[in-house]
Amino acid sequence: MSNVLRPYLAAVRSTLTAALTLEDFSSQIVERHNKPEVEVGGSKEVLLNPLTISRNENERVLIEPSINSIRLSIKIKQADEIERILCHKFTRFMMQRAESFIVLRRKPVKGYDISFLITNHHTDSMLKHKIVDFIIQFMEEVDKEISEMKLSLNARARVVAESYLSAFNS
Amino acid sequence: MSVLAPIICDNGTGFSKVGYAGNSDPSFVFPTAIATRGPASQPTRGGPPVPSKPGSLASKRGVEDLDFFIGDEALANAKTPGYGVNYPIRHGQIDNWDYMERYWEQTIFKYLRCEPEDHYFLLTEPPLNAPENREQTAEIFFESFNIKGLYIAVQAVLALAASWSSNRVTDRTLTGTVIDSGDGVTHVIPCAEGYVIGSAIKHIPIAGRDITQFVLNLLRERGEMVNVPPEEHMKVAGRVKENYSYVCQDIVKEFRKYDVEPYKYFERYEDEYSVTGKKYAVDVGYERFLAPEIFFNPEIYSSDFLTPLPEIVDGVIQQSPIDVRRGLYKNIVLSGGSTMFQHFGQRLKRDLKQIVDRRLENTSVQSGSHMKSSGVEVDVISHKRQRYAVWFGGSLMASLPEFYSFCHTKAQYDEIGPSICRRYQIFGSAT
Amino acid sequence: MILLESNNYIIQTTLAEKLTKPSSLDVQFVDFDDVRFHLSTPERKTQLVLSMSIRCWDELVRYGVHSILQREYGSMVKAQPEPEYNVSLELDLEQFPADPEARESLIQSISLLKRNVLAAPFETAFTTQKELAAAGSGQGELLALHYRDEEAIYVQASFDRVTVIFSTMFREETDRIFGKVFLQEFVDARRLPTIQSAPQVLYTTNTPPLELSHIPDLVQTEDVGYVTFILFPRHFEKQPIAESTISHIQSFRDYLHYHIKCSKAYMHSRMRHRVSEFQKVLNRAKTEVATGERKTVSGRSLVR
Repeated sequence: MSNVLRPYLAAVRSTLTAALTLEDFSSQIVERHNKPEVEVGGSKEVLLNPLTISRNENERVLIEPSINSIRLSIKIKQADEIERILCHKFTRFMMQRAESFIVLRRKPVKGYDISFLITNHHTDSMLKHKIVDFIIQFMEEVDKEISEMKLSLNARARVVAESYLSAFNS
Repeated sequence: MSVLAPIICDNGTGFSKVGYAGNSDPSFVFPTAIATRGPASQPTRGGPPVPSKPGSLASKRGVEDLDFFIGDEALANAKTPGYGVNYPIRHGQIDNWDYMERYWEQTIFKYLRCEPEDHYFLLTEPPLNAPENREQTAEIFFESFNIKGLYIAVQAVLALAASWSSNRVTDRTLTGTVIDSGDGVTHVIPCAEGYVIGSAIKHIPIAGRDITQFVLNLLRERGEMVNVPPEEHMKVAGRVKENYSYVCQDIVKEFRKYDVEPYKYFERYEDEYSVTGKKYAVDVGYERFLAPEIFFNPEIYSSDFLTPLPEIVDGVIQQSPIDVRRGLYKNIVLSGGSTMFQHFGQRLKRDLKQIVDRRLENTSVQSGSHMKSSGVEVDVISHKRQRYAVWFGGSLMASLPEFYSFCHTKAQYDEIGPSICRRYQIFGSAT
Repeated sequence: MILLESNNYIIQTTLAEKLTKPSSLDVQFVDFDDVRFHLSTPERKTQLVLSMSIRCWDELVRYGVHSILQREYGSMVKAQPEPEYNVSLELDLEQFPADPEARESLIQSISLLKRNVLAAPFETAFTTQKELAAAGSGQGELLALHYRDEEAIYVQASFDRVTVIFSTMFREETDRIFGKVFLQEFVDARRLPTIQSAPQVLYTTNTPPLELSHIPDLVQTEDVGYVTFILFPRHFEKQPIAESTISHIQSFRDYLHYHIKCSKAYMHSRMRHRVSEFQKVLNRAKTEVATGERKTVSGRSLVR
């Protein structure tokens, strides 16, 4: 499993590292505005080509770079209904706390489960490779967490059912 | 039958009061304590245990988190090996959300025995609670328990509403000063039209626990406690405080009264040792009126906190905006178990009135007797429901038909998300 | 706490308290599944009236709830229940037995009021089954119990078994999926050797089981599921076993929902933990801002 995962993560890592060359850039349209261009999208010339890295049809990463910000969106693996709902719950829970995850976007980009927005302010105040590490670790662990949650749900359901039914024996 | 009674849940630092709206007393009052497997109050554990394999029935793996007790049962199990007691609320604020969520879970399913999906809930929060905490609470109640609707009210405001039950209150106003004294701490909270004036709130580090300790000290000094087994000391002091104490109008006179006719005023407290069944008795004397006196003359108990309660109340009101001060003086409401002493209200009123009148006189002298104030009305309201005033206020509010329109419903939550609970409409306010 | 208890805690504690210290009282409270209670002292402090309202009362009356009430509570049952309630018990605290054990068991039996009332269709079905077993064939009437707005219990006796069917309805998406996982485990759990003797469980969504196929106004949507328990005579032949089977099967829905909610709470604590772990990883990225006081050579602090 991790053998298949590794090249995928490696690709994301190198792309993201390469894309994280951000600089301070004031808006060309509105005076005294300095906003993440990838979100504003007002001036085409400062946007770079977006890039998708797909592991398979259910798992992919979209990286949208621009001059002063980059947006990274992740589509997390969801094999069935249970994983879908767990994934939804988890990402929602995390985005609810976006305040403390400085680089997390409060809403995912359409078609993805969770999005990060990294601006030049973040790369100024934080170590670039550590931000990349964070994203990669998140991607690694979120799958694991969701499958563990699913396992524990099943285990619980079993115990619950067994306890209920075994009470009939008495 | 359209809607089932809303549930009022007042989780305090020491005790939780829960019950159904429309009643005059909470159905359950128990300590906000939870006994879980594992050592007590470990800050953050290594995360919830991960069930290894779908286990056999014997080991019951995967449901370790259901193995816990709350309330009185938690304290009873404190000594069972393997369990540790935790207090999920610290200083009025929720400290450990994991424990709190499970605490609520058992409150609802074991004690209240209701299907949360069918009920509206009214929860309370301390003044100046962070909106993030409200969001987290809403997240738990709407997502875990799927409740129908939620209202989160500030405790002080509910205490004001509870005073409406007193027949001395004619206009139902939400302006007033709340003196909330529980087990751990005493707050003085000014409210204007249902909004807490946060900048003027004062805390007093004297509350129920300190009074009990003070009673115990007095009894020990007089040598009354020699017959009492040491484990029972706190209990005896607590009983003496609850059953015999009152507030006097003048300490010196009171002492003299006791010395002249000790047989008339001294009381005898009898009890038996819970382990051996041996009987013992304690004479209760001066502590009857000295115990609550520490609110008015704190120097008799503490050396670092010396401001009497009436002065604090006066200070709080003076710090509030000038246009509400009259309202705050006129409606001083007591709440919590430590304000239950007889004549507590009268004494507070008298002392506060003195302070206010003295100031008015000063002003009039300083202005060269040109200005004469029409006087400031000071009134302290005691009522029957004082002990669980916050809960009762909640019960009162939630039984109004308008209550439901103030709540945020599950549908609204699903639409907007937890941020909806950052703001709640104040009761009785015009939209 | 894994299993839910069937007695009402509030009734139990209040009665115990009032026995030692009678005082006037007027409280209203609820129990699972739209059951409302009213406990009051209308005339004097030692005379309590406990009233209960339950939504499927009319159906219960048809299944012989009155005889159960007579059997369990005898003269305590008031002929005329309090208005708005279905059944009232009159409890005279002075008449309570003095013996602590007898007292305890009387309180216990009063706190089981809801359980006893809901036992009516099951007891009827169990007796019908015995009659049919003697005859060797045949099927009893389908006893429906609409105990909630959208959910119902159906009980049917036949000559070798009693079938109990719960219709389930989840109002929320997460609950529906969690519920599915749980119910699937109920079906599978019986394969375990230790609980071979437990009732057989079947779970179907969308299509109602055969027993219900003749009911015309059955709601058929995606959200509705049916859980069938097949009780064999060994589950209700002996009186004490039958009693515990009834208490147990009644609480099925509450049990299921309780555990779905507990799982969600557990998921929350897991997520809280995981999120705080991620937080730590992200915090590692933050560059340390030198906050330490900088000193000059002579030892004074440097102010810029």
